[in-house]
Amino acid sequence: MNMKEQIVSKVSSFPTLPAMAGKLLNLLNDPDVTGSDIGKVVQYDPALTANLMKAANSAYLGVATQVNSINEAIFRLGSKWIFQIAVSSLIYSNLRRPVSGYDLSGEDLWRHSIAVGLMADILNRELKIKDVGLAFTGGLLHDMGKIIMGEFIDDKFEEIENTVHDQKLSFEQAEEKILGVDHPEIGALIAENWKFPAPLVDCIRYHHDPEAAPEIHQSIDLVHIADALCLMQGYGVGRDGINYKPNSNSVDRLKLTTTIIEKATSQLNTSLEEVDNLIKESPAPEAVGRFS
Amino acid sequence: MSLVVLGISDLQVSKNPDDILITYSLGSCIGIAAYDPETKVGGMIHYMLPLSKISPDKAAKKPGMFADTGVPILLKKLFAMGASKDRLVLKVAGGSHLMDQNKVFNIGERNYLVLRKILWKNNLLIKSEDVGGNLSRTLRMELDSGLTTVKSSQGVREL
Repeated sequence: MNMKEQIVSKVSSFPTLPAMAGKLLNLLNDPDVTGSDIGKVVQYDPALTANLMKAANSAYLGVATQVNSINEAIFRLGSKWIFQIAVSSLIYSNLRRPVSGYDLSGEDLWRHSIAVGLMADILNRELKIKDVGLAFTGGLLHDMGKIIMGEFIDDKFEEIENTVHDQKLSFEQAEEKILGVDHPEIGALIAENWKFPAPLVDCIRYHHDPEAAPEIHQSIDLVHIADALCLMQGYGVGRDGINYKPNSNSVDRLKLTTTIIEKATSQLNTSLEEVDNLIKESPAPEAVGRFS
Repeated sequence: MSLVVLGISDLQVSKNPDDILITYSLGSCIGIAAYDPETKVGGMIHYMLPLSKISPDKAAKKPGMFADTGVPILLKKLFAMGASKDRLVLKVAGGSHLMDQNKVFNIGERNYLVLRKILWKNNLLIKSEDVGGNLSRTLRMELDSGLTTVKSSQGVREL
């Protein structure tokens, strides 16, 4: 087996997702999904329901009256929030693990993932693009491939880093050159193995190179830009540093301006703290310990 | 020795000689280590954006997020603790940028330019700095001596 085959062979043994997460992600196929559709899926998981109720009652929303049922929680939070909190809670344990080759602690990969998810969603809102949760989920899962790539990067790190400097390549281009495959591709293979909806797989596969996508949808651009911004701002940065090249066409397609970027940046700083606390304090039991 | 870790948008001052102020992952953000060697009063900030006008409500809650709100507060707190303007040693790290950057991502450079302007207005100079490039940096300062170092993929160096 060559190096690429060795890496790809790890995809099939990658831990599966909680069943509930799969059901939720399937809702991304439906552009008209409502809060009650999401409620129907999550109501059978008591811990997740508890998390959502807690979110609805959090001080962050600044409301005085308590919600007492999942339906009230959904009504208050809206379908987007419900979806985001549910998916994040379920996926937390999969992403909260150290990745040696990139020198990411368990906290780093999680922090980067949740930051990119939230940033993609904040930009989405600033740019007034209709989307239930694709940009967020794509952001949350875009770097999953690093979990498998990590051990292979470990042995070749110096070679990859020299390639970045000598040939002026971005980090994932150098990964591909030295190892035969890069972390976006491995992440996409995991997502396909998990039977994720195709647009979500695209967000993961093309997050460093939106131009290569067979069909460029805005969620890919959003994840790409959110990733670049979060790396630049130091949310969960590993040994690969900030050696990434943002795509100018994505900037043009989204009509991004410095003002929008700076507004989103300040928004992310506060949202991240809230969501991070919420999910860390009470992750759903289905997600906790299952693969650890 | 006790490590005082600053997150993004935090600012801290101390005159406990046992303290080490440290902040990680400075990309486009800027970290300032300020120290008065005589009174051994020191402080640090990790701000992420240049100007608070982009979001005044966030600036009110977290002034350390912006250079124009955070840096003056850092200075005031240092002076209130006994630091003197004449003796204050300022060391700066961060302000990185992405590769092949598009102008809209210019936050690192803008962060640095606004800082220069604020310091110039206050008659303060930067003693040493490690800014720009594509690096992610860690800034660390020991309160008993003022020893300040920057760590990045290029190694550790004293500022």
